[in-house]
Amino acid sequence: MASVQKYFDSFHGKIRLGLFDEEDTLRDKRRIVREKLLANLPDVFKKHNEKNLVPTFRDQGSYAMRTGTRPLDGDFDIDQGVYFETSTTDYPDPVVLKERVYEALNGHTKRVEIRRPCVTVFYKDGYHVDLAIYSCAAANADKKDYLAMGKVGSEEKYRVWQESDPTTLTTKLFERFDGDETGRKQYRRAIRFMKRWKDVNFVSNGHSAPRGIGLTINANSYFQPRYNTTTFVLDDLTALHELSKEMLSAFTSTWVSTEWKFVRWLSAKLLVTPFNDVYEKMTSKQMESFETKLTELRDTLKKAIDEVDTRKACQLLRNVFGDDFEVPDESETARATPAPVSTHSQSA
Amino acid sequence: MSLPMTNETATTEPLVFCQPDGRRIKLTASVVAQLLRYAQHQLTDKEAGGVLIGRYLCDSDDIVVDQVTEPMPGDKRGRYFFHRAQKAHQHAIEQAWQASQGTRTYLGEWHTHPEANPTPSGVDTGDWRRKLQQDQYFERLFFVIVGTQEVRVWCGSRKQAKLISLQSHPVES
Ligand SMILES: [Zn+2]
Repeated sequence: MASVQKYFDSFHGKIRLGLFDEEDTLRDKRRIVREKLLANLPDVFKKHNEKNLVPTFRDQGSYAMRTGTRPLDGDFDIDQGVYFETSTTDYPDPVVLKERVYEALNGHTKRVEIRRPCVTVFYKDGYHVDLAIYSCAAANADKKDYLAMGKVGSEEKYRVWQESDPTTLTTKLFERFDGDETGRKQYRRAIRFMKRWKDVNFVSNGHSAPRGIGLTINANSYFQPRYNTTTFVLDDLTALHELSKEMLSAFTSTWVSTEWKFVRWLSAKLLVTPFNDVYEKMTSKQMESFETKLTELRDTLKKAIDEVDTRKACQLLRNVFGDDFEVPDESETARATPAPVSTHSQSA
Repeated sequence: MSLPMTNETATTEPLVFCQPDGRRIKLTASVVAQLLRYAQHQLTDKEAGGVLIGRYLCDSDDIVVDQVTEPMPGDKRGRYFFHRAQKAHQHAIEQAWQASQGTRTYLGEWHTHPEANPTPSGVDTGDWRRKLQQDQYFERLFFVIVGTQEVRVWCGSRKQAKLISLQSHPVES
């Protein structure tokens, strides 16, 4: 196999969130949003003659899992859990609590918007903060956290408190690697590589692309670490080839009732309530394109494994992972040798 | 590795051979196409030969042959012999070496045989052993014989005077 690990390392350095200023900016925005909420909520609750609630905050999503990748479109986001110690019965309509948050933040940035699963604060530089609003376990009789779902004006059946436990999800997604630091490190890398592959190969509107959390759940099910157990040098190429192979063999013929037919389907079931398939909103056509592109990925990774020439292997990898995957010069991938001399020869 | 019998190479595939220590040597598609043009299919076709030029890859230590020289003025060609002069071929080697900051170098020799599955003659192995001692090269030398149905490769080094026949590397699907 061509030695491409070095080039996976530099690719990973380019796509991960963490080494760049963007992450500091995200942290700043998160801090500002927290401060604004704490400063303004008392007046908002007072205005509505409601009990003042002081929220607590928890990081969520890829930021909390440390599986974030730099977005291609410059649209950076951070997920923030906002927990209120109030029961779901105190606020039977969850959208009301979201409106209080909206009111406390509105006017401070370019735009604030109530979306179905969150309240989103948009900044004009392309960053946004998604606030997931919770009624926290301590205030509920069943000691469970509930997420406020729904928008202003949506039907009552879409305004619900949905049981949700992102912290446990994160724990469950990583507990496989307790005691295997190197494996966990490579697992995070594989997730980032798959997410960048998704960003490069699928259009981002609607449900055309498999969700990042879905790819993360798939990696949890099908990724196996591949590294040298003596030197701990990673073999990302083999690990990704095996991951894509396993994901493809997990596609099954599944009955899709909304389309009234059997389709090839890969599911990514949430490991916590509501245990739904996070790919459920994809159409059969979108799922078909997912399988086709995953097949291309697997075949390209296999070709890269078989390729002797490092530069050629990197060219293959760039085709599936995009321009952040560097293609080295030939001279960079070959040994410098002493001056050669070939005498005459004779053959028969 | 068996070859397509046609003279014209529609889409030539690269050839990969495996050394006993697992390191691979790849002849690029364009090198294979160039060699196959000299295969001695006709009774009148003369033996041909030249040198192999390419790279030792970092880390994997695999080898890529990406250039070969062809018979040049000064070389002598017969149906059953080929005598290669030093000068023009050495010039090509030096050019490649200099233009690549030493990363492209002399890797060995090739010649043709008018037989399907070629084996080296006594003249061949004698000369290969001499070259393993007299030539200036990095680690190993490779010797390619282009038959009419098969291309085969042998390898040796200064320390390893015994010539080893390389297995063609199967590409599993
Ligand atoms: Zn011969």
